Amino acid sequence: MGEVREITFVEALNEALMQEMERDPNVIVMGEDVGVYGGIFGVTKGLLQKFGPDRVIDTPISEAGFIGAAVGAAAAGLRPVVELMFVDFFGVCMDQIYNQAAKMRYMFGGKIKIPVTIRTTIGGGLSAAAQHSQVLYSIFAHVPGLKVVVPSTPYDAKGLLITAIRDDNPKIFFEHKLLYGVRGPVPKEPYTIPFGVADVKMEGSDVTVVAVAYMVHEALKAANELKKEGISVEVIDPRTLVPFDKEAVIKSVKKTGRLVVVDEDYDRCGFASWVAAIVADECFGYLDAPIKRVTTPTVPIPFSPVLEKEILPNAEKIIKAVKEVVRKA
Amino acid sequence: MVVEVRMPKLGLTMTKGVVKKWLKNEGDKVSKGEPLLVIETEKITANVEAPTSGYLLKIVAPVGTTVPVGGVVAFIGELGEAVPEVITQPQPTRPVERVVPEAPTPPPPPTRVRATPRARMIAEKEGIDLSLIKGSGPGGLIVEEDVIKYLEEVRKKTKTGLRVREVIPLTSLRMTIAERMTESLRIMAQVTICREEVVDNVVKIREELLPLIEKEVGIRLTYTPILIKLVAEVLKEFPIINSTLEDNMIKVIDEINIGFAVAVDHGLVVPVVKEADKKSLKEVVIICNELTRKAREGRLSIEDVSGGTFTITNLGMYGIDAFTPIINPPQIAILGVGRFVQKPVVQEGRVNIATVCTFSLTFDHRVVDGHTAAQFLDKLVSLIKDESRLRAVLSVK
Repeated sequence: MGEVREITFVEALNEALMQEMERDPNVIVMGEDVGVYGGIFGVTKGLLQKFGPDRVIDTPISEAGFIGAAVGAAAAGLRPVVELMFVDFFGVCMDQIYNQAAKMRYMFGGKIKIPVTIRTTIGGGLSAAAQHSQVLYSIFAHVPGLKVVVPSTPYDAKGLLITAIRDDNPKIFFEHKLLYGVRGPVPKEPYTIPFGVADVKMEGSDVTVVAVAYMVHEALKAANELKKEGISVEVIDPRTLVPFDKEAVIKSVKKTGRLVVVDEDYDRCGFASWVAAIVADECFGYLDAPIKRVTTPTVPIPFSPVLEKEILPNAEKIIKAVKEVVRKA
Repeated sequence: MVVEVRMPKLGLTMTKGVVKKWLKNEGDKVSKGEPLLVIETEKITANVEAPTSGYLLKIVAPVGTTVPVGGVVAFIGELGEAVPEVITQPQPTRPVERVVPEAPTPPPPPTRVRATPRARMIAEKEGIDLSLIKGSGPGGLIVEEDVIKYLEEVRKKTKTGLRVREVIPLTSLRMTIAERMTESLRIMAQVTICREEVVDNVVKIREELLPLIEKEVGIRLTYTPILIKLVAEVLKEFPIINSTLEDNMIKVIDEINIGFAVAVDHGLVVPVVKEADKKSLKEVVIICNELTRKAREGRLSIEDVSGGTFTITNLGMYGIDAFTPIINPPQIAILGVGRFVQKPVVQEGRVNIATVCTFSLTFDHRVVDGHTAAQFLDKLVSLIKDESRLRAVLSVK
């Protein structure tokens, strides 16, 4: 695949945008501070200089307006990549997302495509308080018509973003704030990663741990710790919640007989519960222990770093859950 | 003092007795140990002695009454003494022996084995009874590891501690055979009688029919269809053997359906020729051939193996002379056929070489007695000896 370098998650996303904008003049970028400032986390850095203000558009603080504009531009034939600075803000523009973007293709009998990509940031751990620390991808996965992408590594981030831009349907692309600085090998050339294909981040035989985004790293940390105690953990990263690679999870559970789902989103009616339900339903006979979920309790994320740490899932809590289901001395 | 006379318990299985005869009348003087009445149980007739001396004040159970063990049949006391109005029923110390009909006690609810789905899946696959396993999970929950550990343990040694070389799981066919054979011996009183007889006529007629049958239906004639025809013919004269015992009723069956045992991979199946007595030899040959082929190919339907009223089993091809076949329930008899072997036999005062065969008939002694079974074998042998009748039964016309 040509040259592979170690770059950060941010750089991988930036490279994906650069390459897709070069490849396809219909790709445009919109959002708050995406132009001159280069994005508050630097993902859109250099795009304005390279592609000009017609394709890299700084917007006012008006999510309902510019997300709606992006959906309209997509309907009219462009491939907008629009940034919702924090997922926590979706409340002001949700109608554009879940009722307009998500349903238009269906309601027009397939005569229209909405190839919009909404990039947004998620996650706690930065003491950013209740309105800037949420995950919320479960809400988007809950409604029909949206593809939900949740990368965990620089490699996946680049490949999945390119796939998202080229996909003809609305996607929500979730970037965990704690991942931006994570480094990893990324090929220089453009490449795609298909949606709905999980990645086994670590192979194991005693328990299946399903995790996405930053929690993949916590799960791997836990797996490495548990390995020292003779517990073999298989870490599976679905990479997209919609479409969801349930076959990969079921295959793994059939092997291990145990499942722990790690999910930074609120516990109630969340992604973890859905995965647990699928496994309980479709491979009940293979389970040798109750399914465990490691999630964030359904409470506002505290500003206090101590309290925030208390509620967010982490390697330590994953280890505890794994030990509960594996019960090895 | 008034003393009760009770129905005695004369054997482990006795639950009740019938009053057959009173040896004393009310008002008679009796001495302790003197025979008082005669009772009859399912097995024996016995005298009941007076438990004390005095006068037979009252007979509570007249002749013909069935009284549970421990139940009062009479009172003995001094003249003028009052007899209790209410009759005490069987002594409560022996509640098991009560025979008052009651609704059957429902079986205790099965203790639910707590096991993970995965443990259950493996147990089912390996044919393991989970209730034999001690769970190591929370609250005794059986997990996969427990099942695997158990599997390893039970497969290494026998219960008596002997080393095991190989474990062969019981196939469902073997399990069915095991169950049916054990059940057969458990419920029936089986007796086997054997008789050796010259079968030259059968050999001769078979050799004559062989090319004819081969030409007509393209099947090589074996002794199986011949024996089926002969047995069916004899059964017509012995309907009592073509029967089944159900709920204390011998039900004589209206059709003669002969099953014949066929060895298959690791087991045995018994396809049935329905109404063999009404079919010609040729028809029986065709049916036997088809059933045998289906048996070997494992394609027998439930229909093919159901409804048998009598079974023939042949071990002659393995050089066996006589054996004790086990009845295929709910039938009540089975005929074992030994090898056809040449032997010196005495015929009309001279020693000749003849082909002989030993027939082993197992019958259910609950339904018929030895003499009926012996007569049945005798009729079979007579038929074999009577060449013209034999030819009539085995006619291919």
